[in-house]
Amino acid sequence: MRRASGKGEMMTDKLILYKEHLNSFLRKITKGFELIAPVRNTYGDTLFEVISSVDDVRIDLTNRPILSPKRFFMPQVETLFAYRYDKSGYTFKDAADSTPRVIFGLRSCDTRGILFYDLIFQEGLKDKYYLDRRKDTILINLGCNQPGENCFCKSAQSGPFLTYGYDIQLTDLGDRFFVETGRPRGRELLAGWSYFFRPATQTDIDEQYEVVLESEGKFRHRLDFDAATDKLINQEVAPAIWEEMGNRCQNCGGCAYVCPTCYCFNIFDSPSSEKEGERLRTWDACTFAGFSRLAGGYNPRQDKAQRIKRRFYHKLFYDKQKYNIPSCVGCGRCADICFGRIDMLSFIRLICEQKERVLAPAHRRLGELLLEAGLISQKDLDLAIEKQAATGKPLGAQLVEMGMVNKEAIARTLGYQLKIPGTAENIED
Amino acid sequence: MGSPSPYLPGLATIMKIEEQTAMEKLFMLRPNDGKPLGHKPGQFVEVSVFGVGECPISVSSAPNKKADFEICVRRAGNVTNALHNLKAGDVIGIRGPYGTHFPVEDLRGKDLLFVAGGLGIVPLRSFINYALERRKDYGRIIVLFGARTPADRLFKAELASLARRPDLEYLETVDVGDASWKGNVGVITTLFPKFTIDPKKTYAVMVGPPVMYRFAIAAARAKGLADDHIIVSLERKMKCGLGKCGHCQMGPVYVCQEGPVFNFAAIKNLEEALS
Repeated sequence: MRRASGKGEMMTDKLILYKEHLNSFLRKITKGFELIAPVRNTYGDTLFEVISSVDDVRIDLTNRPILSPKRFFMPQVETLFAYRYDKSGYTFKDAADSTPRVIFGLRSCDTRGILFYDLIFQEGLKDKYYLDRRKDTILINLGCNQPGENCFCKSAQSGPFLTYGYDIQLTDLGDRFFVETGRPRGRELLAGWSYFFRPATQTDIDEQYEVVLESEGKFRHRLDFDAATDKLINQEVAPAIWEEMGNRCQNCGGCAYVCPTCYCFNIFDSPSSEKEGERLRTWDACTFAGFSRLAGGYNPRQDKAQRIKRRFYHKLFYDKQKYNIPSCVGCGRCADICFGRIDMLSFIRLICEQKERVLAPAHRRLGELLLEAGLISQKDLDLAIEKQAATGKPLGAQLVEMGMVNKEAIARTLGYQLKIPGTAENIED
Repeated sequence: MGSPSPYLPGLATIMKIEEQTAMEKLFMLRPNDGKPLGHKPGQFVEVSVFGVGECPISVSSAPNKKADFEICVRRAGNVTNALHNLKAGDVIGIRGPYGTHFPVEDLRGKDLLFVAGGLGIVPLRSFINYALERRKDYGRIIVLFGARTPADRLFKAELASLARRPDLEYLETVDVGDASWKGNVGVITTLFPKFTIDPKKTYAVMVGPPVMYRFAIAAARAKGLADDHIIVSLERKMKCGLGKCGHCQMGPVYVCQEGPVFNFAAIKNLEEALS
């Protein structure tokens, strides 16, 4: 890895990278690392890809990638070892991959997914295949200014911005990125190319803070994970609900494949001839009928309802119990792909209907919200309402016209007010 | 890099194959490195037939100073079918031993009630032979063995010699008899009225098909056994054996790590354990 040029004076942990310098920065990275970033392909899908030439692809930092980058740590199919048989007997070749990589543009949910993988693959017997890849991979997180349609990372306490766990975190400030370094290797990476960065000023810091606040106000969904977990612990989900969800499950395994925290795998052999071949492991999904089926046919989870139940108990209860966090990062990808609506978003809403009604301040008025946020005073509000009677303008516009508050603050507050769905429209199906 | 992969098996050579029934064969294995497996009764190994795959199999022999050990395998899936097609001299892969073992030390001085349903005799045989090699360390030993039909009975000669021992009580049954069968007919719980136990001193150690547990546990309880005097071994799909792959989990428990041997009292309320 490159070291600091010796000047190092500007390597604080808060920096600015102007967007016109981004590609040059990424080009430098490709010299020492395999660079992985979200790329918009010709089908219009954004996926994490290995980038050999920054200028030949369209890096997409707007849309959340369809899949998390988990395959760069645990490929969908990977070789554990190769075997070979000859007259002297069996010989084996252990697979190893410790390519130094930089993953650029991970979303907070994805970084949190990798942090969860860290727990799984390091506890007990250390998984060398995972750890070899993880060891030399630098994570550059991109916080989300605009949560997606099905995103609920804020409820899962894993976004939209991270407070730990990243090597580097970027915040989009329009013409520039606000750059934070977390783990030392993030700092080391930047130190090599300090000329791309300038230290952040107080204005930058304030602006970044506003972006974070604004983003947090934009979530359509607010879910109460604790309430959902309690319902599972207390066995309050009626058997009929599991049955119904089981009926709607198509056994496709998609929820597990797109999930940044699902890690279950199968192991199988792939012979290339009578004498040689490889032992592989591949992603698996607990919703598959054969997942727990034994040779001979006995299956402890024969029914789809049992498998669905197990999936949610695992993510919301067992992992919470074991690691103190649920193994859902709120990325919403299962909600994107599950056409049976047995995704985490639908599930938590379904079992917590009552709770969400209390949570969502759907019918609060803008004036009240602005007051509560300390953005205007009661006197301002009274004055604006009085004026509004004459002008007929919306309250927000009236307040802006009177210079009492700026448009951004209104937008943020309105976002908070409008984007959290009302109770009736919130419960689908 | 550094440490070798925990998924990489050691090699073992098949020394001898004994056909037990039409479905089961007993394999005598010798580790190629000459080192004993180091297992305890109740543990399992991951057996590889390279090119076909890997599956968990209980060790059937009692631990001893020699490196050789035995597995008894029912022809049930891809790997076990492939195993059945092998011959003496062939080399297979072995990882392990894995999992918990029967509490052979803790049960010293206790009366042992073994309840073996069908293939359940395979892991129990390891404990039974272990106990017989240390006969005076244990109190009474009662062995119940149930098979589907007389032809399905495993270890026939061995069990017959157990039946002749004065220091062991052996009772057997079959679900369905045939013309030659003169013994008990009925499920394994029909053997329970034939003996008495001292519930304070006795521990039941049960291994059998999933359906057996509910009834055998009820019968043991009816004899006055407390739940923590009942030891079971549960079969799950222990694919990796390392507590990672997820297949063997029941509730939050990795059976390959916290099992397959469990004290019944510890899992009686665990969802998915014994349903």
